[in-house]
Amino acid sequence: MSTLHVVFKVAGNEYALPAGDVLQMESFTAATPVPGTRPWVTGIMQVRGRIVPVLDVRKRFGLPSVEHTVDTRVVVATLGERAVALLVDQAREVLKLEDGQIKPPPEMIAREANGLVKAVAQVGPRLVMLLDFAKLIGEE
Amino acid sequence: MSSEGRVSEFITGFLAEAGELLALANSSLLTAETSARGGGASPRAVREAFRALHTIKGLAAMVGVEPIVALAHRMESLLRAADQGVTRLTTDGIDALLQGVRAIEQRVQALRLGKQVPDAPAAILTRLEAIEAGPAATPAPPEAHLDLEPALLARLAPMDRDQLLQGLAKGLHALRADFTPTPEKAAAGVNITSVREQLKARVEIVKVIPVSVPATAETPAGLTFAILLLAAFEPDQLAAFAPQAGLAVRTLSAAPAPPPAEPELELEEEDTGARPGVVRVEVSRLDDAMERLSALIVTRHRLARAVADLAATGVDVRPLTRILAENARQLRDLRAAVLNVRMVRVSELLEHVPLLVRGLGRNTGKQVQLVMDAGDAEVDKSVADRLFPAIVHLVRNAVDHAIELAPERRAKGKQEEGLLRIFCLQRGDNQLELSIEDDGRGVDREQVARRAQREVPQTDAALLELLCLPGLSTRDQATTTSGRGMGMDIVHRIAVDELGGELSMTTRPGLGTRFTLRVPLTITIVDAFSFDCAGQRFVAPVSMVEEIIEIDPRKLIRGPGKGAGLVQRRGEALPVLQLSSIFNLTSSEPATRAMVIRRAGEATGIAVHRMLGQQEVVVRPMEDALVRVPGVSGATDLGDGRPTLVLDLAALAGTMLGKEAA
Amino acid sequence: MPELLVVDDSKVMRDMIIACLRADPGLRFSHAASGLEAIEQLSLKPFDLVVLDLNMPDIGGIEVVEFIRGQDRLRHLPIVIVTTRGDETSRTRALSAGASRFMVKPFDPQTILAEVRGLLESRIAAQP
Repeated sequence: MSTLHVVFKVAGNEYALPAGDVLQMESFTAATPVPGTRPWVTGIMQVRGRIVPVLDVRKRFGLPSVEHTVDTRVVVATLGERAVALLVDQAREVLKLEDGQIKPPPEMIAREANGLVKAVAQVGPRLVMLLDFAKLIGEE
Repeated sequence: MSSEGRVSEFITGFLAEAGELLALANSSLLTAETSARGGGASPRAVREAFRALHTIKGLAAMVGVEPIVALAHRMESLLRAADQGVTRLTTDGIDALLQGVRAIEQRVQALRLGKQVPDAPAAILTRLEAIEAGPAATPAPPEAHLDLEPALLARLAPMDRDQLLQGLAKGLHALRADFTPTPEKAAAGVNITSVREQLKARVEIVKVIPVSVPATAETPAGLTFAILLLAAFEPDQLAAFAPQAGLAVRTLSAAPAPPPAEPELELEEEDTGARPGVVRVEVSRLDDAMERLSALIVTRHRLARAVADLAATGVDVRPLTRILAENARQLRDLRAAVLNVRMVRVSELLEHVPLLVRGLGRNTGKQVQLVMDAGDAEVDKSVADRLFPAIVHLVRNAVDHAIELAPERRAKGKQEEGLLRIFCLQRGDNQLELSIEDDGRGVDREQVARRAQREVPQTDAALLELLCLPGLSTRDQATTTSGRGMGMDIVHRIAVDELGGELSMTTRPGLGTRFTLRVPLTITIVDAFSFDCAGQRFVAPVSMVEEIIEIDPRKLIRGPGKGAGLVQRRGEALPVLQLSSIFNLTSSEPATRAMVIRRAGEATGIAVHRMLGQQEVVVRPMEDALVRVPGVSGATDLGDGRPTLVLDLAALAGTMLGKEAA
Repeated sequence: MPELLVVDDSKVMRDMIIACLRADPGLRFSHAASGLEAIEQLSLKPFDLVVLDLNMPDIGGIEVVEFIRGQDRLRHLPIVIVTTRGDETSRTRALSAGASRFMVKPFDPQTILAEVRGLLESRIAAQP
């Protein structure tokens, strides 16, 4: 069995989400800030007529923000009825990952990522980390 | 300053505008071509193309691009001859015109790249000229008549009159809506252009005639615009589409000239009479009830906070807590009950569809069996009002274009009678899924791609995107070959932009097409002020605001709390909260305006930097836990495609004062 | 300060006309993108001169001229037609409907400015 995954970069590391959970990817123009939200919530944007929160993955990982570039993307992913746009440094690849490639994360990575990485996949020389989207958006 | 230098500044503008005009010319010509192929004519499309080329010619002359002027001039001349009935525009003529458009495009492109602009191709010019000198058109004389005073009738071009009569024959309502401009309306942004734009989305405007009237209090400008139009719905629904315009609507359809065996669309025949146990209520009264209920909910939050404070001092509050819990439940039920009153059955919304289908079937000579199943689904009145025109468009397209005539169906081995199914179901808590399905010819991908001048779309979703391009589908003329002709951009706008829903389509060549609209069951529309605070735009419902006052930052007495202060208002002290402080926004300028709201009988000002305007907005809920914060009741799109936050000022003031007290 | 209404459905053309006339710092401008919009604005507020295109989407320039000349209040308002239609028929129709001047695009910036100034001056001189 293999599953298509959308791969994106945050602070030099590569992360992935199952392509089936990704609604769309687009370049990031702007989000409307919502006062009083958690620091990693950049704001809201409109996706297909729907209001969607924009979550800054860098800040969610406790990393410093960087200036947005032409590569900056939002990856809109869904979980049940929820849809959340993830703000990432770069997203341009879709990879087919075999079940056999996917392994539990090494303890160091699990700890560093606050449990937000649920598995890793070795793709040639690259290590791609599979995000725990539910945990990322605060759904336990 | 030399005139040379001045003109070159406009080259960029010219390039942009020429692009739009060429696209318009192209789509108009394609519409005309489709009509011509069916043996008909499309005067409106011809006129549009004429106008586009005429403007291109003028602009090209200003920036001194002779080859474009020459081409546009010849094309314009042929189109004028066609419009005036001097020349008959055949598919051959349109082909020559399309060739001309391409030649202009190439020259615009050369200009854009800073290259030498090639001369106008002589072959095209000669061809156009030869066609213009060709056979004349033979217009058919109209028969029926319109109920319009002679002075106005005289100002209608024969083409406009024909359009109205043809509309009537198709079962549409021919209406006259009078719009009277006033300085107040103009100041509020309501003018003939805005009214036309609002109406254009829903009806077919045939002609607008300015009429001089004596200047009175009602008509201060001494002017009224008589808007003559064709609509698919009842006359009394029209005014609701341009609520601030104050339209006076009357019908132009006198007794139809050829009396049909059975009445045409009997849409007016509604039972306005009393049904037992049914009360008709103005929606505004329900809104009012909802408003009061919201105030009650805010008060309950304060009560809960007061009880919590009391508990903190060691008092036994258990009996109070029980009452509060019950109170919360009751409020929730009451809110649901009020919302429930606004719900209308989808089956009621579809009541008129059988008549519409019968009328369309008779006009096209098609046999259509209509099957509807709306179940018990209900939607909010405001959703129903918006949804109806979209349903009419889709039903009309299905009968007019998708379902084939009986012989064609027989030849394809289908039932002679076409099948049109409308069904809906409720999904989740707040979504209605409504599908309109036909067993007609399906959408022709190649044809649509050609008309849109795009590559052939590979998926139904991409095909739908092309169908919803404004230029492609707003043409009024029936297109018997494409399968789908009109108003898909309107359907898209209603479903996606106005209602925040989705529109999807599946189509199979030769077998049929299904359109599915997914829309929320309820939407909240409020009249709102928009304003700027520290560079960010917000809106807040007008109903919450008692007054807008100016504040002189020098006279603001700073209070002890963060951002709070006092100003004098009519001799009394008014507490003022700075919105920028509540939201931790920074600005170098002091706030100069405040919206005065009343919470629990007490007036409070919320200070902002600038008031921007007032308009009706559709409030979209912000349901995601990541962005659910007190004081923000949702988001709206003010037309820039970006969400703007809708603020609940009373709740905001409540949280702020709560913070201060704590 | 005299206020002019510039009517043309092309934004570039409006901008161009206004840019030419801005050489006179003593003029103010409003604009309309259609014949109906022009009629509405003229009915709601006083203007000193109208620069008008002939070919527009809703109602044409000639109809606008006829409307203006049919109003007591606007009977003497100077109207400058600026059009691509340089043919004699258009010129005759526009002038007989009551247009004050008729200019063909492409126009010369100096000429349009001179015409407008001339019309405004004679208008001021004619007033008591």
